[in-house]
Amino acid sequence: QFNDRTIRVSNGVNADHPVGNGITAMQACLDQKSGGKLKLQAFWGGALGGDLQATQALRSGVQEAVVTSSSPLVGIEPALGVFDLPFLFANAQEAYQILDGEFGDMMNEKLEAAGLINLAYWENGFRNLSNSVRPVTKWEDFEGMKVRVMQNNIFLDTFQNLGANATPMAFGEVFSALETKAIDAQENPYVTIDTSKFFEVQNYITETNHAYTPFLFLFSKPIFDTYTQEEQAALRECAAVGRDLQRSVIGDLNKQSLEKIKAAGLQVNVLSEEEQQRIREKSMVVYEKHKDTIGADIVDSILAELAEIRK
Amino acid sequence: MTRLVDLFYRFLETLLILLLSGMAIMVFVNVVLRYAFNSGLTVSDEMARYFFVWLTFIGAVVGFREYGHMGVETLVARFGRKGRQICMFLTNLVILGVSLLFFWGTWKQLPINVSMSAPVTGLSMGWVYGIGFFTGAGCSLIALERLFRLATGRVTEHEIAAFAGERHGVDQHAERST
Amino acid sequence: MTLVVFVVSLLGAMAIGVPVAFALMFCGVTLMWYMGMFNSQIIAQNMIAGADTFTLLAIPFFVLAGELMNAGGLSRRIIEFAIACVGHIRGGLGIVAIMAAIIMASISGSAAADTAALAAILIPMMAKAGYNVPRSAGLIASGGIIAPVIPPSMAFIIFGVAANVSITQLFMAGIVPGILMGLSLIIAWQIVVRKDDVEALPKAPARERLRATGRAAWALGMPVIILGGIKAGVVTPTEAAVIAAAYALFVGTVIYRELKLRDLPRVILQAAKTTSIIMFLVCAALVSAWLITAANIPGEITRFIEPLIDRPMLLMFVIMLLVLVVGTALDLTPTILILTPVLMPIIKQAGIDPVYFGVMFIMNCCIGLITPPVGVVLNVVSGVGRVPLGRVVTGITPFLLAQVLVLMLLVVFPDIVIIPAQWLR
Ligand code: NA
Ligand code: NA
Repeated sequence: QFNDRTIRVSNGVNADHPVGNGITAMQACLDQKSGGKLKLQAFWGGALGGDLQATQALRSGVQEAVVTSSSPLVGIEPALGVFDLPFLFANAQEAYQILDGEFGDMMNEKLEAAGLINLAYWENGFRNLSNSVRPVTKWEDFEGMKVRVMQNNIFLDTFQNLGANATPMAFGEVFSALETKAIDAQENPYVTIDTSKFFEVQNYITETNHAYTPFLFLFSKPIFDTYTQEEQAALRECAAVGRDLQRSVIGDLNKQSLEKIKAAGLQVNVLSEEEQQRIREKSMVVYEKHKDTIGADIVDSILAELAEIRK
Repeated sequence: MTRLVDLFYRFLETLLILLLSGMAIMVFVNVVLRYAFNSGLTVSDEMARYFFVWLTFIGAVVGFREYGHMGVETLVARFGRKGRQICMFLTNLVILGVSLLFFWGTWKQLPINVSMSAPVTGLSMGWVYGIGFFTGAGCSLIALERLFRLATGRVTEHEIAAFAGERHGVDQHAERST
Repeated sequence: MTLVVFVVSLLGAMAIGVPVAFALMFCGVTLMWYMGMFNSQIIAQNMIAGADTFTLLAIPFFVLAGELMNAGGLSRRIIEFAIACVGHIRGGLGIVAIMAAIIMASISGSAAADTAALAAILIPMMAKAGYNVPRSAGLIASGGIIAPVIPPSMAFIIFGVAANVSITQLFMAGIVPGILMGLSLIIAWQIVVRKDDVEALPKAPARERLRATGRAAWALGMPVIILGGIKAGVVTPTEAAVIAAAYALFVGTVIYRELKLRDLPRVILQAAKTTSIIMFLVCAALVSAWLITAANIPGEITRFIEPLIDRPMLLMFVIMLLVLVVGTALDLTPTILILTPVLMPIIKQAGIDPVYFGVMFIMNCCIGLITPPVGVVLNVVSGVGRVPLGRVVTGITPFLLAQVLVLMLLVVFPDIVIIPAQWLR
């Protein structure tokens, strides 16, 4: 049984981000299931407020949904900090297995206790490092580099631990700071480096894959609870449909963006297997430092599950 | 009673001075640290922002008391004494209404703010967003007191003139044009 | 229909005397009631989240820097410097006023404070030299409104945050249009005073000029610090603002010694009050902005002006006229806050450069500060210069026209704004 409902979904990214494709696919699925009664109304570029503000609006039942990265939400649910840990996932397949499996469900329960229903884990993509100083192929290359990071303690510690001079800065100021060389480096997924034109003011890029912070498709629990069972089920199923498409689009787009970055004349480097292993081991101090805030059981359980997958 | 109220506002003004000075010192120290010593205190950026929130919402009450908030008095200024009093009554009714809603909204939202902590300091956001109680209550009380005096005919000519925008000094104009 | 509810509730409340901040909250409440989503948490959350922004911290610091600049004697020395430079030219005191206005604009962001400082010193001098007093007052008021167009500018910061546009780029883009406003005033002034019988000041000897420059050097260093720092990307606008405040404090107390430490609390309190008045308004506007967005009011307006979307220049022209009309009754900050969320989606859709639009919009809002019936800067110049408001309005007319002409020129030739902005970026 379906009622006419308008679901306001706020997004920090712009409509041309793969999240846009995901929303379109999710809407098509909802149209089919609800006979056009459930309508998604998307707001782009933070028009309805920043991710954190929108998430708070969900918790108080003021707004229906938001697609947000997990990082800004650690103040609400500290366990989400686990996804900020450096070099956690080795590849996207690992991430999918963990997020769509038991561990993901366990995190969803924690979010539900905070008034948030996570319909599905969408993709933001692995984060990579670009800079204007030198090719980065090993640990020592980070030394003294001024890297912009998000306002997030784990990211700060990760880069400080690498020997870089980590500088928290608002996203909107990054381009001109890179251009004027106030900072040397930034770290974001390829798609963001492309769409925000950071490559125009950078010379080197390294596929560090240092973090995979998923997007969460969050729904307001107070509002969700007023929906019928059919509506709830349709939303969950269609969010998964949107997720699958969104992940494949972002995969393709990542390749395109990388090509574009290469064509712009940037030198692209990869970390060798051994170097990746070395950095991962050296980064374990960050795991230790933040274990208590995130929850020791959480960190241990994800590491155990990953070990299981990697067998 | 009047003296007590004046004393309270004196206290608020001192608080405003401390908050603005505190913000300036914290941000300034951070600039010096960042450019001279290549390091910074992320704590001070965050605290400066919270000082800013408190400054804004404490100052809003002080500003309301002093008829400092910007308004368009063109129409009101054309009315006679009676008309002005009616407008003043309606205005304070509107302000009372929205201020009570502000207070009520802060109350309803308290649980979700208390359960969220600031990224760097870990301070509960209840302390930051809770300032809505002060501003909501403060403006409601001032509006109520004015409504009471308007209803009982105890409002002064000076206040009516201030309401109609006739007693503004250069400082108040400066507040309006920046 | 939502559009009607928005306009009627906002204008209705303001008309009976409700201050704009509370009127915006009331408008928000009316909108949510009309949309069937009444929830007091919308008010509480948007209000406070609005102030919790690091970028907006630049506002109190620039306000403080401006207050310290006036209290510390920096403004007076800038005016003396301008007199020494151009006071002896025919129509000289008018040119002095504009030159000083432009220099002060590159230090302060407040049109009213700059106008007050200029009027207090220059109107008596101009009267003594035989200039028409209302006309002089008009010139000074129209020079004062350059302050928010040339960086630093609270108006750009508020617009930048509300429209999600780079504040650094807005700052850099404002420089040339601000100077153009000043040049247009000088031309208009030279035309209207050409038949007046006034005596020019005696030309200061080179030695005196050098001394005035030396005395003003510390004050003239401020724009260099502010703009140089931001331009070089060494500091963010917020950091530049706090450095400017520290610098003004240092120069006012240690170098010029006009600012006594015991006066400091009063100066800080004034800056704090000004800040909270502006910020409370910004916060209240975010409540209505949230509802405007949620109700898709820009979409409703876009339907009306659909045919204009493909003609950016005509669209700009129509918007500029609209802002001029709104500006007759509403001051700078409220105009920015009320119109930005409504106009920005349309601007983006029409493919107009948001930085260019921001500069034009702010310039237009500033002109609103000198258009009757509501024009704060008119009130300031009338109060400080002791000239009746009606006569100021007569005196200001040629200068108002000159600035509207500049505005229209920039609508027709957007490159005048865009090219130097790209060059300065
Ligand atoms: Na300025
Ligand atoms: Na006006």
